[in-house]
Amino acid sequence: MASLTLKGITKRFGKIVALSGVDLHVEDGQFCVLLGPSGCGKSTLLNIIAGLILQDEGSVLLDGQSVDRLAPRDRDVAMVFQSYALYPHMKVAQNLGFGLRMRGVPKQSIRERVLEAARLLGIEDLLDRKPGDLSGGQRQRVAMGRAMVRRPRVFLLDEPLSNLDARLRAGVRLELKQLHRQIKSTIIYVTHDQVEAMTLGDQVVVMRHGKIHQIGRPETIYERPADTFVATFIGSPEMNLYRGRLLRKDDRLHFQGPGFSLDLRGLQINLEESEVEVGIRPEDIGIGQGGTTILQAKVEMISNVGSEKYIHAHLGQGTLTVRAPKEAAFQPGQIIPLTIDPHRVHIFHEGRRI
Amino acid sequence: MSREYFEQTIIRILRVVGLIFFIIIVAFPFYWMIVSSFKSLGEILLRPANLGLDIRKIDFHAYYAVLFEHGFLQYISNSVYVSILTVVLSVTLATVGGYAVTRLRFRGRKIMSYSILLIYMFPAIVLVIPLYVMFSRMGLRDSINLLILVYLAQTLPVALYMLKSYFQTLPPEMEHAGLIDGCSRLGVIWRIVIPLSAPALASVALYTFMIAWNEFLFAFMFLDTPEKFTLSRGVVQLAQSVHLSKQLVMAASVTVTIPILVLFLFFERCLVRGLTAGAMKG
Amino acid sequence: MDQEARLAFWLLFPTFIVVLVFVIFPVIWNLWLSLKPVSLGDLRGISLFKFNLTLENFRKVFGDQHLGPGLLTTLIYTIGGSALSILLGLMAALLVHGEFPGRGLLRGLFISPYIAPVVAVTFTWSFIVDPQLGVLNWLAVDKGLLAQPIPFLSQRWWDLDLLGVRVRMPLALISVILFEGWRYFPFAFLFILARLQAIPDELYQAASVDGASPFRRFYHITLPQLSTVLSTLFLFRFIWTFNKFDDIFLLSRGQAGTKVLTIKVYDYAFGEFDIGASSAVAMVLFGVLSIFLIIYFRWILKED
Repeated sequence: MASLTLKGITKRFGKIVALSGVDLHVEDGQFCVLLGPSGCGKSTLLNIIAGLILQDEGSVLLDGQSVDRLAPRDRDVAMVFQSYALYPHMKVAQNLGFGLRMRGVPKQSIRERVLEAARLLGIEDLLDRKPGDLSGGQRQRVAMGRAMVRRPRVFLLDEPLSNLDARLRAGVRLELKQLHRQIKSTIIYVTHDQVEAMTLGDQVVVMRHGKIHQIGRPETIYERPADTFVATFIGSPEMNLYRGRLLRKDDRLHFQGPGFSLDLRGLQINLEESEVEVGIRPEDIGIGQGGTTILQAKVEMISNVGSEKYIHAHLGQGTLTVRAPKEAAFQPGQIIPLTIDPHRVHIFHEGRRI
Repeated sequence: MSREYFEQTIIRILRVVGLIFFIIIVAFPFYWMIVSSFKSLGEILLRPANLGLDIRKIDFHAYYAVLFEHGFLQYISNSVYVSILTVVLSVTLATVGGYAVTRLRFRGRKIMSYSILLIYMFPAIVLVIPLYVMFSRMGLRDSINLLILVYLAQTLPVALYMLKSYFQTLPPEMEHAGLIDGCSRLGVIWRIVIPLSAPALASVALYTFMIAWNEFLFAFMFLDTPEKFTLSRGVVQLAQSVHLSKQLVMAASVTVTIPILVLFLFFERCLVRGLTAGAMKG
Repeated sequence: MDQEARLAFWLLFPTFIVVLVFVIFPVIWNLWLSLKPVSLGDLRGISLFKFNLTLENFRKVFGDQHLGPGLLTTLIYTIGGSALSILLGLMAALLVHGEFPGRGLLRGLFISPYIAPVVAVTFTWSFIVDPQLGVLNWLAVDKGLLAQPIPFLSQRWWDLDLLGVRVRMPLALISVILFEGWRYFPFAFLFILARLQAIPDELYQAASVDGASPFRRFYHITLPQLSTVLSTLFLFRFIWTFNKFDDIFLLSRGQAGTKVLTIKVYDYAFGEFDIGASSAVAMVLFGVLSIFLIIYFRWILKED
């Protein structure tokens, strides 16, 4: 196992800048998730770590040693691909052992390690089959196994769950977490799925347009998003976000949004008269009287997801989503009072959190 | 009677008539080639309109004469040698070349791909005279190994292009996995690309074999010594030397035709199966 | 990156050498020869490398009164042969399209003219239509369809009496065009069949629901779907037929009005022993062909 450090990684494809100045440090044994929308450069970054693509600038270090000049096979990393990329002409056992065979490991120990990995993943009875005869979930395990057998310094996982159907995915996610706890390996995991990122990662790296927007523990990313992109990208339903102005009236801080005003008393911010964005998560809004700030919203539509309900309402000239308990009974057109705790409000100035 | 039904009936009739027409025009020459090769010269001269073959009068003499008196045993072995060597060289070079054009980044890759196609279109007749002059001058012309190099040049562009197109359909992740697992680029070609491309390699090999086996112009122009003749060259030689004994020419034609047809009909089925199916995403 | 480029170079190097020696160099050498007075007898001496350049060969070739008719013959042969092979290929593909027992066998049978060696099929057809020993002529005479055998491959004109109107048909040329259609229809057949099978069934089902009858479905769906492959095939076949030498050489030796340009290249070199003139004709051929190649490549680049 090893720690991984990226220093100022930059990559261009023609005129398109895929990555610009990416810095990252992943501790030994950490589960690091690269999260971002498609095209954000996360897969390119993974390929650069593997050595499949060469960066234009910057450096990749394993345990503090640069591996930039090493070919993929000499970096001692293992990768699990989104498409699994199993060798269709080899049996599962040969797939698992291929990396060891290429490294000249004696046959006997290949067999032992293949068996060990297969036992860990529960695929011993598949060893004599070919990838074409396996189900999606089984292939996924074989792909994982192929990486594990090698005992590499770093695991690189490129959206390994995205080809599984939704029900299977939740199960495999849990197993993956347990597996990591068992083998304590350094993992770099690429995904566009925030649930995977939040549940799996010790460290989540949010990326967009080839840049890192925030690095942090999942709770931090959720509770204290660094900017409006992270704020809206993480969380479902999306955070409510309003552009407006901070005003001080009667020595009390106000946010003047589009057609409504929000009382922010108690907050210490020195940005009066400036244009800001205010974000409120749907679950941070209370329904009914009794809180600090009271707003009136008009119910437009209710979506019921079973365990809870989401109320889509008009607030001033904007819209608003509120999480409500499943027992809540509202009608479209109804006016409801809402309360918001100023300390649960996220305020962004020029896109950055303050 | 509805229009749909009426037209369906017409189509059915046209289909039967058409199939019979095509079967006759395609099969008859081959039928005639075989039937005539078993006739005696007297039979051919006396009853040229006899479509059938009298089982009791089957005459193998033409084959005996062609194989043992006209040197066709030698021509067969020459043709086998030329064709197999052409296939081996052409498929090998096309595999590595096709891989380079598909997967490796280098300047001029695009131009390379297009010039391959351009060369494919070059007419043999434009090449044959200068090559004839050049190799006559060097005294190398009457050589079966030179012929192999000529066939290599004739087949390589197409073979490379065909394999390039196939390699492009292979998922690059599989090769990435190989690189990470410890293969060099050549190792990736040998252990991953070639096994995955078996159907494409087989069809390219078959195509190359066909070109080399059937080739007439260069063999006709280059080879002077009968011991070096390929089958096609030998058939022409035979046809020029015997005027009336059509049964000999037909027996020679059967000898050159049967191997390639059998090979094609036998392998046609094996070629359809794609190997990658099912190995990728579920 | 540098390493990749170096590997690519070595992987492509043998191919490059082979193409250079056997394709690129001959074309340049051909141009050189076409500008020199070279006869077949000069191959031994050193005159091959002398700078005695002249346009005499081209003057001779363009002064040859057979060049014009030769070009015309080539065009008729090329267009006729290409069109016929594609038409036959289309018919065959439509016949074999669909599921029925023995389909694989028929497909195999239908491609055999293209697979079989050219020498075998040309000699067989020559034998079949031979005026002295050919089964076709003798059957026709026996059944009273013909008064006397027709020399299909060795007679230039054939006067046909059509309801009192006498029509002169270029007999040998038509024969070689028919052969061309027969031998190369499998090529078109395979491509058209593949395209036919790629047309989604939903299209036909939608048209049926819309009330289109089978013929209308063919006209409004099948044909438009095939238009690209048909035009590509024509261009391909045109280029290749234009270059064809073997077939005519083996069938008629270019006699009786079948002397296409490729045969002229051969005739100059080995009939008149004039390598220079032969190379000059080859250059003319190459020039005409280049026009089609340019068309072809603009097409490809547009498709890309």
